[in-house]
Amino acid sequence: VRPVDRCFRRLFIANRGEVAVRIARTCDEMGVAPVFAASAADAGAPYLEGREVCVLGPARSSESYLDVERVVQAAVQNRCTALHPGWGFLAENPVLAALCEQHGVSFVGPPAHVMALMGTKNPAKRAMAAAGLELIGGSDGVLASVDEARAVAAEVGYPVLIKAEAGGGGRGMRVARSEAEIESAYNEARGEARGAFGDDRVYLERLIEGGRHVEIQIVADKHGAAIHLGERDCTIQRNHQKLIEESPAPTLDEAVRRRTLAAAVDAARSIGYVGAGTMEFLCDADGVLRFMEMNTRLQVEHPVSEIRSGVDIVAEQIRVAAGAPLSIDQGDVELDGHAIECRINAEDPADNFRPAPGLIERWETPAEVDGELRVDTHVSAGYTVPPHYDSLLCKVIARGGDREAARRQMIAALGELVCEGVPTTAPMHAAILESAAFRDNDYDTRAIPGWPAGGS
Amino acid sequence: VAHVPTAPIGAPAGGGVAEFREEIERREAVLVERRAEVARGWGDKYIGRVHGKGKLTARERVELLCDAGTRILEVGTFVNHGVEFPGGLRSPGAGVVTGFGQIEGRWCVIIANDNTVASGAWWPRTPEKIQRAQTMALRLRLPTVYLVDCSGLFLPEQSRSFPGATGAGHIFKMNSLLSAAGVPQLAGVFGDCIAGGGYMPIISDRVYMTEQAYMVIAGAALIKGAKSTKITSLDIGGPEIHVHESGCADVRVPDDRALIDSLRAEVCRLPTSGADFYRGGVGAASPRFADRELASLLPPDHREGYEAEQVLARLCDHSLFWEVCPSVGREMICGVGRVGGLYAGFVINRQGLVDDPLRPGQKRPAGILYRGGIAKISAFSRACNDDGIPLVWLQDISGFDIGLEAERHGLLAYGSSLIYTNSTNTTPMFTVLLRKASGAGYYAMAGLPYDPVVQLSTCLSRLSVMEGRTLAIATYNTKLDDDFEIIASDPDEREKIADGMRDVEARIEKDMDPYVAARQMDTDEIVRMSELRGWLAALVEMSYQSPGHRRLKNPRIWSMHDLDLLVGGDR
Repeated sequence: VRPVDRCFRRLFIANRGEVAVRIARTCDEMGVAPVFAASAADAGAPYLEGREVCVLGPARSSESYLDVERVVQAAVQNRCTALHPGWGFLAENPVLAALCEQHGVSFVGPPAHVMALMGTKNPAKRAMAAAGLELIGGSDGVLASVDEARAVAAEVGYPVLIKAEAGGGGRGMRVARSEAEIESAYNEARGEARGAFGDDRVYLERLIEGGRHVEIQIVADKHGAAIHLGERDCTIQRNHQKLIEESPAPTLDEAVRRRTLAAAVDAARSIGYVGAGTMEFLCDADGVLRFMEMNTRLQVEHPVSEIRSGVDIVAEQIRVAAGAPLSIDQGDVELDGHAIECRINAEDPADNFRPAPGLIERWETPAEVDGELRVDTHVSAGYTVPPHYDSLLCKVIARGGDREAARRQMIAALGELVCEGVPTTAPMHAAILESAAFRDNDYDTRAIPGWPAGGS
Repeated sequence: VAHVPTAPIGAPAGGGVAEFREEIERREAVLVERRAEVARGWGDKYIGRVHGKGKLTARERVELLCDAGTRILEVGTFVNHGVEFPGGLRSPGAGVVTGFGQIEGRWCVIIANDNTVASGAWWPRTPEKIQRAQTMALRLRLPTVYLVDCSGLFLPEQSRSFPGATGAGHIFKMNSLLSAAGVPQLAGVFGDCIAGGGYMPIISDRVYMTEQAYMVIAGAALIKGAKSTKITSLDIGGPEIHVHESGCADVRVPDDRALIDSLRAEVCRLPTSGADFYRGGVGAASPRFADRELASLLPPDHREGYEAEQVLARLCDHSLFWEVCPSVGREMICGVGRVGGLYAGFVINRQGLVDDPLRPGQKRPAGILYRGGIAKISAFSRACNDDGIPLVWLQDISGFDIGLEAERHGLLAYGSSLIYTNSTNTTPMFTVLLRKASGAGYYAMAGLPYDPVVQLSTCLSRLSVMEGRTLAIATYNTKLDDDFEIIASDPDEREKIADGMRDVEARIEKDMDPYVAARQMDTDEIVRMSELRGWLAALVEMSYQSPGHRRLKNPRIWSMHDLDLLVGGDR
C-alpha cells in the first residue's frame, strides 16, 4: 500500500466479522485508526481485541448493524470522518450514504444518488445500455398492457419473466413459457405487486436459464478516472449465494472480454461512479455478457482480483473517498495467472447446508504465501460463531500460473485447513474442485459441479 | 453547525390503504378525462382546420418546443371549466395554454394561444390566466415564450375582458415589467395577431414570424376599400412589412416547425440553469418510500387522520428531513429536506390528536392553528426567507383555534404576524392544498391571496371559509341548543330546519369542489397525488435556476441554524 500524505485520521467500520478485519488491515497499513462497530453479540469477540469498539445495540441486526441512524451517530460521536460500510447490511443503502453526506462523514463508496440509481431496475439498465453495455432482451421499461407484453415476448422469445418494477425479493414475479401463459403471468405479477408494494407496474425480460455468471471489478475516483481489475466468474452458486469465484473467467471469449471490460469502465465513468463497484453479467448461450445489475460496494470475492492485480482495492476506496486520485492507471494493471477463491462457512453441506453456529475449539489455516496463497478471516481458536449473522468463517484465495495450478494449490490449502467444533463447507469445496465437471468447465448456474445437492 | 442535520422520516406503508387508493383513483380518473377534454379544444373539426392550413395546434407547438421526453407542467388547465358563454360556446382552458416546460434544459414559462378554440380568441379570464403565468415567470425570473396565434378579444364578452385592472391591456404591462426585470421574452407569431395583441410580441426581445403570420392594429375587415382592392391582413401586417419595413419583428421563417426550432436555438443562447451549482455535488434521488403511495395514504374523508410524516417521507429525497423546532407547536411540522437534490423548506399540518402543552396528559385535535404552531411557522417562514430557501406549504387545515382561550392567547395578533411574514417574503413560496383549506387557516398558510408562486390542489382539496356543516350551524344558530341539536319539538318544524341545514351543507360542499376553485382561478392547477413530487421537484429547481436576482445563502450561514439552536439545541 502506498502511503497517502493526507487522509482520514479515524474511519468507522460499520460492519462485523471477516470484512471488518479486512478493512482494518488496510487502515492499519495506511495509518488510519479504525473504529469497529459491534452488536452486543459480537462485542467480546477475539477479533476486536485491542481495537476501538463502539457497541451499536443488541444482537438483532435491525437494531444494530442495520440501523442507519445509530450507525451514523456512532461514527460522528467517535469523531470518525469516514465510514466504510463493508458488504451486506447497509452497504448498498443510499440513505446511509446520504445521511453520511449530510452529517459530514465521508462515505467510502459512490455518491448516494448514483447508488440510488443503480438500486433501481429499469433506470439502471437504461443508464448502462446508454453507456454501451448489452442487456437481457425485454421491454423498454414498464409494460403498458398485456398486448405489449405479448408483443415483446414474441420478439425476445419464450420463456420470459414478468417482474415488478417496485420492491424485490422475488415478489411480483412470474414466468411465462408460452403465449398461452402470458396473460395469466402478467395479471398475477401485477396483482401480487399491487398487493405487496401498492404499485402494479411490471416489466418483461427474457428468462435465461443456466448461463454463467461473470462480473467486472471497477474502481473510480472523484476526478473522472476509472479502471477495471478484470473479471470474475461466479457461476458456482447455491440459492444465489456464491461459493467459488475465479478469475479470469475460464469460458469467456477473448474479444467479448476485452470489449465488455472497456464498456464497463466507460459505463462507470458515465454515471459518475466513485469507489469500488462490480457490474454483474449473465453470459448466455451465445457467449454475450448481458448486464444484470451493479453492486455499488466492495464484494466478498474482491481478493480474487487483488491477488491477480496486486492492487489493494480497500486502500483505493479509502484514498478516493478522501479526494485523492487513483494510485494506478489502467496501464499499470497487470493481471497475472489464475486465481480461485473458496468461501468457507460454518454450515453442514451434508445436512442441506444447515447453519452451524458454536464454539470453534481448534482453528488452523494454511500458511500464507505472498501473491500465491491468502487467507482472510476473523476467526481464531476459542471464537464462537454467533447464530445471528452470516456464518462466513474465512476465504481462501489461491493463485497459480494457470487454472490447473491454482486448482491444485487450493485443494492442498483446503487440506491444511483445520476447524474443530463446527462443521464447515470445506469438504464440499474440495469435492467441487476435484470434480471432472469443474475441471472441464461443464456446468452453469443451475447446478453445483461435483456436488449432488442442487444449485441455485 | 454547517451541516443540515437531516434524519430518516416515515415508515413503510405496505402499499397504503386499498379503499383510499380506489377512491382517489376514481377521482383522478375523472381528472385525467377532464384534462384530455380540455386538450381537445373545440374538437377534431377545429384541429383539422388548423392542420388544413399547414399549421400546428397550440399543444403540438408546445410539445415540439420542449425537450423530448420531458413533461410539460400546465397551469390553469381548468380556467373557465364548465362555463357557458353566449351562443352556448365554451372556452376550454380559456383558450390559452400556459405552463412550465424545459427548453434546452432551461425551465421556461410558455404561453400559447389555443388556435383550436375560436382561433385563439381571448375570453373573459383569458387575460388573467396569461397574467398569472407572466407573474410566475417574473417571480422566478424564467425566460418566457409566447406562441401567438390570436384573433383578438371574444367580442360579445368584451366588457368582461377589456377595461378592468386585469383586462387584456394589463398583459402588456406585465410584458413591460418582465422586460424591466431583465427576464428574457421571446415571441413567435404563427398567425393572427390583431389589435392590442400586437403589443405582446413586440415588447418581447426577439420576435419571429411565419409566412402565415401578421400583426395589425386593425385587420383588413375594418379597412375601407380593402374588399375591392383585395388587400388582406397579411398584406397589411405580414412579415414582408414587419420584418423588412417596420422592424416590428426580427426574423421571418417559412413555417411553424422552423419557428419552433428558431425559438429553441434562442433559448440555447441564454444562461444554463444554476440548479446544479446549488446542488453542490449532490444528485437528485427518489424518496426511500415511493411517492406513488401518496395516493393511498390520505383518507378521502377529510375527518379522518393520517401521519403527516408519511407525506414528507414521500416528497423528500431519500426520505431524509430536518425537522426544525420539533418540541414546539406539535400540531405543525416544519423543516428542511432536499427535493431533486435542492433544499426546500416544508410546513405541514399534523392530523389526529397531539399533546396539549397547557394540559399535561391531555390531547387536542391537530390540523388547527394554536399559538405555539403559529409562532413556530412564522419564525420558520422568516428563516426560509432570510436564507433564500424555497418554501412549500402543505395545507390540510381546519382553521384557527376558537374560543376564550384562543382570544386570550391573542391568536388574532399571532396570526397577523404570520400573515405579515408571508406577505412580505420574497423567497419563492409554493402552496399545496392536500385536503382541507378552511377559513383563515388557508390564509395563514400562504393560500393564493398571499401570492405563492404556484398553488396546487389535489382531487381531495376542499377550499372554503368554513365547512358546510359549520355554516349550517351558524345559519340556524337560533334554532339549535348547546350541542347544536335542533330545539323545536314539532316534527314538521324539525323537518324544515333539518332540510334547510342539509341544503346549506350541500351548497357549500358543491362549491368546495376543486374544479370550481380551478375554474375561478382560486387555485392554479389540480394534480394527481403521484404527480406531486414531480411538480415540487420542478418548482424547486426553477427557484434555483436564475441566480443573481434574490438572496440565496449557502447552508453554512443559514439563520435556520440559529432558530433551531435557540429553540431546542444545547446552549
